[in-house]
Amino acid sequence: MITAKSLVKKFGDFTAVDGLNLQINQGECFGLLGPNGAGKSTFISMTYGTVQRTSGELTVFGYDPKTHSREIKKRMGVVTQENALDESLTVFENMMIYCAFIGIPKAERQKRVEELLDYMNLMHKKDMPIMALSGGMKRRLVFVRALLGKPELLILDEPTTGLDPAVRHLLWGKVKELHSQGTTIVLTTHYMHEAEVLCNRLVIMNKGIVAGHGSPKELINQHTPGYVGIFSDDDRAHVNQITSNDSSYILTEDTSGVYVRTNSLEALTTLHTKNNLTPLQIRPSNLEDVFLKLTGQDITVDA
Amino acid sequence: MRNTIQLFFYITLRNWTVYKKDFIANISPTVADPALILVSLGLGLGTYLTNVEGMSYMHFLAPGLTVATALFTSFFESSYGFYVRMSYENVFKAMLTTPIGVREVVFGELIWVGLKGALMAVGVSIVLALCGLMVNPWLIPAVAIVGCLVALPCGAMGLLATAWVKNINQFQTVYSFLIAPLYFLSGIFFPIEQMNNIVRFVANFFPLIHGVRIAQAIFWQKDIAEALAVHGGILILQSAVLCTLAYTQIRKKLIN
Repeated sequence: MITAKSLVKKFGDFTAVDGLNLQINQGECFGLLGPNGAGKSTFISMTYGTVQRTSGELTVFGYDPKTHSREIKKRMGVVTQENALDESLTVFENMMIYCAFIGIPKAERQKRVEELLDYMNLMHKKDMPIMALSGGMKRRLVFVRALLGKPELLILDEPTTGLDPAVRHLLWGKVKELHSQGTTIVLTTHYMHEAEVLCNRLVIMNKGIVAGHGSPKELINQHTPGYVGIFSDDDRAHVNQITSNDSSYILTEDTSGVYVRTNSLEALTTLHTKNNLTPLQIRPSNLEDVFLKLTGQDITVDA
Repeated sequence: MRNTIQLFFYITLRNWTVYKKDFIANISPTVADPALILVSLGLGLGTYLTNVEGMSYMHFLAPGLTVATALFTSFFESSYGFYVRMSYENVFKAMLTTPIGVREVVFGELIWVGLKGALMAVGVSIVLALCGLMVNPWLIPAVAIVGCLVALPCGAMGLLATAWVKNINQFQTVYSFLIAPLYFLSGIFFPIEQMNNIVRFVANFFPLIHGVRIAQAIFWQKDIAEALAVHGGILILQSAVLCTLAYTQIRKKLIN
């Protein structure tokens, strides 16, 4: 559905996307992860033509967004990073004008808008000005806007950033439902958990290229040992002393403690039973571990 | 093509929907500003100027006021108004994810500005005609042409300013060094023939003076066809150049 080959985008001297190769298939829920400035939004904007590539190839539905953005945009819905709702119009007016932009026949517009407002539990706010909505309501309204045209491809650019857990879970539910109905979904996010919950395949981007790709499980298996034990800073010397001679332990340090990574749960529990070291936490490795490993931890300085 | 025109129309429709919400507030400067100028300058200064181009100062002043309204309404809409929607509300970021393209955004905006200019100019001329300042009030609909032909290039100048400024405060520079001089030096307040030659020469490259000429012809019912042909032609040419420029510059802002 979306194919990128050696895709490059430069803004002046800055290279935002640096030879990206990607293939997103129909029916997937595909995740794009990466730190701020990794090139996620630049890539997303290129798919509908508001950012134009410097070189390489990009097709969406088989069209080149440089020349056929309208054909592409007719079939896609975008939850933009900024809400970008028209503050001068009410909830209902906002959605009606978007129906017009999308090309929904006049007679069907009202029904379509009301259906979706209902779906997103916003019907009671129909005639409110945008200003009167909470952050979560605005976000839900942006979902309504993205869904008006019954898109085959739904792009979610950081859909739940800054939302409370209840709204986040509600939106996840809706996304899963849409995905199960056959909508292809592309999601960018900073929340690893969100990506684990929603995506069946994802890439981790860093500095404009793909740093890792696969299903969440594959990525975890590929890039990190199975388990992490987190020990208090006070135990640092002790942990160091025990694990430094044993290559089955990988040690990383973090502001929140000493991280000991290893393949088996036993290896961590022996630290407790034999050496009397009590970990703050023992958990299976997750996508966040992969993310930090692949993107490095100090790259956010100028992002 | 049909699709594109339809989409222009939707952008225009969006602006109309917003405009009519606060219709009274939006229309009041149209009526109030020219009335104020007429009372202060026309009645005040007018007692000293009893014969300007063979008529009272009020009669001389009236036509230019319709053009001034078209200038201000179009410039502010496409500078501050467009800038806020573009840079603060990010409205176009969302719009451009729909089949709407930059072309529709810009030309839809300009069509709206042209229509609004026509509407406002007609509004002002109704007020002026009621004050007995129009020789033939049946010519009021013709003022719509002037309003539109002035608003289009002035709106395009507003969009160019939007593309040019780095922040919203810089519009004041554009206002002080372009819009205000146009307002005062385009033959609205005194016959342009009295002006310094250089100023006269420069003024010809801007839309306002040509709009004033047509408005005067209509209000005084004098050489209307000639004014429309010459100055109307120049305005159409200026509109074409400025609107195209505005499109290319705004495109650079919205498409990277």
